[in-house]
Amino acid sequence: MKSERCVFLMGVEQALEYRVSFFLSMLSAVFPIVIQTTMWNYLYRHSDAAAVFGYERGEILLYSLLASIVSQLVGTGFEGEMNEDIKMGGLNKYLVRPMGYKRYLFFRFLGQKVPRVLIIAPVMAAIIVLAFLQGLPISAGRTAAFLVSLSLAIILNFSIYFCIGLFGFWLTDAGQLFGTISIVLTVISGGVFPLDIFGGAAETLVNFLPFGYTTQFPVNIINGRFGWARMGIGFAFQIGWILIFVWLGKKMWKHGIKRYAATGG
Amino acid sequence: MITVEHLRKDFTYYKKMTGLKGSMRNIFHRETLTKEAVRDISFSVEQGEMVGFLGPNGAGKTTTLKILSGILFPTDGKVEIDGFVPWERKNAFKKRISIVMGQKNQLWWDLPASDSFYLNKCMFEVDDGDYRDIVTELSELLDVRDLMNVQVRRLSLGERMKMEILAALIHRPDILFLDEPTIGLDLLSQQKIREFLKIYNERQNTTVIITSHYMADIEALCDRAMIINQGHLVYDGKLGEINQLFGRRKLLSVKTARPADTKKLSAYGIVREQNAAGAVLEVSQEHIQEVVTAILSSLQIEDFTVTEIPIEENIARFYQKEAVMP
Amino acid sequence: MKRYFKLTGLFAKYSLMSALEYRINFITGVTVEMGWMIIKLLYVAIIYKAGTNIGILTPNHILLFVGTYVLMTGIYMLYYGNFWAIPGMVRQGELDLYIVKPVSLQFLVTMRRLDFAYLLPNFIAGVVMIAAGWHLAGLPADFLSVAGFLFYLACGCLLTYSLFLLPYLLSFWILSVGGISDISSALWDFNNMPSYLYGKWFRRIGTYILPIFVITNFPGLFLMGELTPFACVWGAAAPLLFFALSRILWKISLKRYSSASS
Repeated sequence: MKSERCVFLMGVEQALEYRVSFFLSMLSAVFPIVIQTTMWNYLYRHSDAAAVFGYERGEILLYSLLASIVSQLVGTGFEGEMNEDIKMGGLNKYLVRPMGYKRYLFFRFLGQKVPRVLIIAPVMAAIIVLAFLQGLPISAGRTAAFLVSLSLAIILNFSIYFCIGLFGFWLTDAGQLFGTISIVLTVISGGVFPLDIFGGAAETLVNFLPFGYTTQFPVNIINGRFGWARMGIGFAFQIGWILIFVWLGKKMWKHGIKRYAATGG
Repeated sequence: MITVEHLRKDFTYYKKMTGLKGSMRNIFHRETLTKEAVRDISFSVEQGEMVGFLGPNGAGKTTTLKILSGILFPTDGKVEIDGFVPWERKNAFKKRISIVMGQKNQLWWDLPASDSFYLNKCMFEVDDGDYRDIVTELSELLDVRDLMNVQVRRLSLGERMKMEILAALIHRPDILFLDEPTIGLDLLSQQKIREFLKIYNERQNTTVIITSHYMADIEALCDRAMIINQGHLVYDGKLGEINQLFGRRKLLSVKTARPADTKKLSAYGIVREQNAAGAVLEVSQEHIQEVVTAILSSLQIEDFTVTEIPIEENIARFYQKEAVMP
Repeated sequence: MKRYFKLTGLFAKYSLMSALEYRINFITGVTVEMGWMIIKLLYVAIIYKAGTNIGILTPNHILLFVGTYVLMTGIYMLYYGNFWAIPGMVRQGELDLYIVKPVSLQFLVTMRRLDFAYLLPNFIAGVVMIAAGWHLAGLPADFLSVAGFLFYLACGCLLTYSLFLLPYLLSFWILSVGGISDISSALWDFNNMPSYLYGKWFRRIGTYILPIFVITNFPGLFLMGELTPFACVWGAAAPLLFFALSRILWKISLKRYSSASS
């Protein structure tokens, strides 16, 4: 585990190194919340939104806040770099190292998360405590389930984006594409608003697709929307999707590497 | 006509503290360091001259070239090129110069090189007729006529470099700066590019300043060489005269029938190499005749040759010290 | 000036030719962009579902406003790749070969590559939404209205370019710009909804200080006759002002490049 620890610490360092960037990206996470909150406040004040969307005003605001925090926590950002490594031949140096590329990315990804978590965690804790004081039923068990689902969500999201990054083997310049992909995925993960406001069909779709399990699922645990039975099913799906994406990543890596070797990077 | 006086260029950069603790501290405070890339360089170049910049990595060759072409601002000093100050970046100045960098490309990767030429034609406002003439002439000289419609990414490195050079000459510049133009190329391509530059310089009387790692580039092209080391101009003169600066010494290689005694050999000069079949001695030029006579009579010599000390070796001596011309 | 039009034409032609070399890339780009658009339409869907007005805007007006936003995004995305590439170019010293060209460097760097895969879906959808919203809301379609609408669209384009180039210029000073690109796209997203959604002060700041709302709100507001004479002037002046600002900051940044890099 020694080299994993090294890479992890390096990730923390890198995140701090680019200080302006770090602060700006923290700040930019606040804007969508402002837009969301404003929009919901407006709609709930001027229409019978609770009946239309199936969420009370407080519920939907809590959801928006928690969802944006969770998507910050699970969010990646290494896809662009993977693309560059593949294009510029930077991958070569990882191929001869004892630690695999994926493992390297994973531990560095965790490391880079740390400064963000240190800032976000207290905010999230404050929100949850406030919600609890307002009457949200939060038990120790629920909190534990949330933390487990969050950890699994991080792994799932990593696996999904690892696969997306591997597209670099087949696309010529995928770098810029990733920004848009991540916006789209954040929304269909329920990272902006709960997708069940669009009705039962949307909800069913989200339940079967992998993306909701990176964001909407953990949020629905902590905000008390899911009962224990649904949680159980959710965990089964979450783990299932992790296995599928890990498998897919391995397959793609194998094919991609072959292609990479054939073209000489 | 290029004149450079007391040119100086400093860079500042941040010192990165190592480790996690260092990174934390870096958030609030950073230490600035200064590197003097060019220190007090002066020279002048006449129209039509071909000049080579020599020097080890990081000596300041490329930086000087970038200042001359207006890419970088100097920290101090004066530069005048045909009445222009490069870093004012007047369009009239830009139309008179051109720069080719071996490490960078300006051609559109996925399109045939001719498209990039046409783009340059439009940027430099070259007449249609002139444009056709120059592309025909240069593509023939560079031997790339058949490659004009091949996508750049399908060209070999050597072919690509030729196209880069062609693209840089579309507007018939008076002055051409070349930064490592033959880097990474095979010998044949290197030679072709050298030949081309030679002919082009003769035909157009273009001033050419070239930096290169390859001694052969400079030897083949330039009468005049400037050696830059640690930001200083340590030599400016004819390439052929460098050897004379270092005490006019020669190398005497001898082949001996039997392995000779080192002690005996060192009586005649400095022993540079020795093996069973012979030795190489360094001898001063004045004594070479006596040494040869003496050695022939005292040792069993099968064969001997006298050669100049390789120029690279003397150039390397410039790199080792900070001193200016001996 | 003529030369710049000619060069823009060449850049467009070359970019399209290059893009078509990589068909999978092109198609993926179009697909992803369509996904992005559907996401943006979800917001309109929410408004229609709630069935409420926003300020003076009916859902049909909102459709027009969001259509303007989608169209503007397409136009912005046409050259956005160049902004995105600036940090890398600065880091790797790739500006060198552009500096020596007798053409405005800012023009070369920001207009060199034009991405039609991103423009296309947004352009089409934007135009359709604008047309539908226009018609459904029963807005006038006489010459003056159309001309004024197009005029403020053009102003919006110039303002987008000038305003959103600014954050990328920071890359001349700092190493990593992931945060910059995050924050500027977060700012851009404020336009996803008409400015009437936000509070009065917020709207004022977003109109007169950091005029992002001018970009997508003014064309529609003009059409509705809701622009005060002062706002009419500001809508035309702000782009010029910020364009001048972007020129000045560009020059300062470039000075930094030429002084500090190696």
